[in-house]
Amino acid sequence: MLSTTTPVGAIARKDVTDVLRDRFIIIVMAFLAVAAMTSLVTGAIALATDVATYNDAKATLLALGKSLDSIAAPEFYPLKLLRGAIEQIEIIGAVLGILAGFRAAVSERGRQTLALIMTRPIRQWQFLAGKFVAGAVVLSVGLLAVFGLAAILLDFVSGVGLGASDLLRMAIVWVAASLYVIAFFAFTFVATLWMRRPANALLVSFAVWLLLVLIAPQIGDTLDPDNQVAGGVFKQLHVPKAEQQRIASGYATFETIRNGIEVSSITKHFERFSFAVLGIKDTYTGKPLGPILVEKRGDFLWIFFTTLGLTGVMFTRRLKSNRLTKE
Amino acid sequence: MTENAIEFRALSQAFGNFQAVKALTFDVAEREIFGFLGHNGAGKTTTIHMLTTLARPSSGTALISGHDIVTDPLGVRREIGYVPENVRLYDTLTTWENLVFFARLSGLSDAEDRVSQALEFLTITDLRDRRVGEFSKGMRQRVGLAQAILHHPKVLFLDEPSSGLDPMGMKMLRDLIVRLNDEWNMTIFMNTHLISEIAKTCTSIGVLSHGQLVYHDTIEAVTQRFGDDRSLEELYLSVAPALETEEAA
Repeated sequence: MLSTTTPVGAIARKDVTDVLRDRFIIIVMAFLAVAAMTSLVTGAIALATDVATYNDAKATLLALGKSLDSIAAPEFYPLKLLRGAIEQIEIIGAVLGILAGFRAAVSERGRQTLALIMTRPIRQWQFLAGKFVAGAVVLSVGLLAVFGLAAILLDFVSGVGLGASDLLRMAIVWVAASLYVIAFFAFTFVATLWMRRPANALLVSFAVWLLLVLIAPQIGDTLDPDNQVAGGVFKQLHVPKAEQQRIASGYATFETIRNGIEVSSITKHFERFSFAVLGIKDTYTGKPLGPILVEKRGDFLWIFFTTLGLTGVMFTRRLKSNRLTKE
Repeated sequence: MTENAIEFRALSQAFGNFQAVKALTFDVAEREIFGFLGHNGAGKTTTIHMLTTLARPSSGTALISGHDIVTDPLGVRREIGYVPENVRLYDTLTTWENLVFFARLSGLSDAEDRVSQALEFLTITDLRDRRVGEFSKGMRQRVGLAQAILHHPKVLFLDEPSSGLDPMGMKMLRDLIVRLNDEWNMTIFMNTHLISEIAKTCTSIGVLSHGQLVYHDTIEAVTQRFGDDRSLEELYLSVAPALETEEAA
């Protein structure tokens, strides 16, 4: 008797083996890791210099027999150095998801293996679930490697050890990053399976990537009235806080639209969540994790439900026979 | 008593206003090697897609070993094997890995034994640990055939099986088809536009032209009616153009 889980497991196992041997996705993943680590190492070296300067000053004072009270012990936040890595995941990670999704579908369509699979006594959802599980496993394990490498480098290069809380924060952001990248995987996978020409699906996916990853978050920033002058308009003009609020209220509709564009992007939600949890944004630096998670749960849920929704869409439509044959 | 392996019941397929397959109604008996002959674009692959449950008919249906392709597609899939034209499989996996994968999808608990059996039957045990990506067209076709017979299907569908094969490859494939029919009691449904292939392999023939069945009989009857070795070609030329003339009129 054919169990429900066997075909899903067989397809997932086959796909993971195929991806590992094909190496294309692994190479893109390695590229992401190198880009993320480069930005991290640069920052970590600067932090290591600050730590060394402080230690030298401390040693000098002790050598002179003076009290350490004259220099305040600085607080170092190594997780702030992950800013570049998060930005690389936002951009290259999304590309990785798109390429993995495209490959997962086009490899079956181009080889006609999709037709072979769909003439086996399995249901369509089992095929789709197997492909999805494989994609999700490959991407999340790849990101785990990136975060693991980042943790090791932070520890070694910056000279500031990571605590359990830091590792927990990284683990939480890894979950969010995995969901974020899987959303792009699911979208491209569905588009490539459904569209008449797979190449068009890739173009559509990159158009969406351009819109969600590069344009929408930037529109949010560039249309912010306070961002029109370096350092902020209000600050440069020495406008008091109360007056700032009064002026801003006159632009409420504009501000709603601006923010609406910004938050329509899953990338912005990932960035807001990650920057808060890792304390990259100054407002959240050094704050306890619990309240941050409560405050930012909306961003996480947005990422979660977007990924869930795109995954759900995958199962809603029957594959057409002309998508099962060679191009 | 001979049962029918395939029963066509007004099987039709339309794409928009274009009627690709027109109300096919005929039977293919068990253990026949049925050659489905027709020009390019006649509707042969569309028909095979419907029979293998890859496409849903726009009207009518067909029964494969008693299972309705519309209402019981999973039942149909348990009874069939399918080799598409230009089958490629997974290039990065070995023959063994490819076949074990398809055996598992077929729900076989003894997947590895079945794969060994298929490799031996097709005399391709030497390809076992080689990656499919390295294979020639003929080798791929044989591995493609292996994936289709792992679960001992009652009906085997072949879509233009000899397309692109050299004469040696075609001969080898014909022998395998006959052996599968003879030793494993499989009914074979074979799409082709090669008349010589049908003459050397099949026990019955159907001629499809513009989606319509214009002739259906045993090879024996065809030979009796037309009398010599060129009988099939004469038959094909006599029925297919006639329909085109009718449509033009």
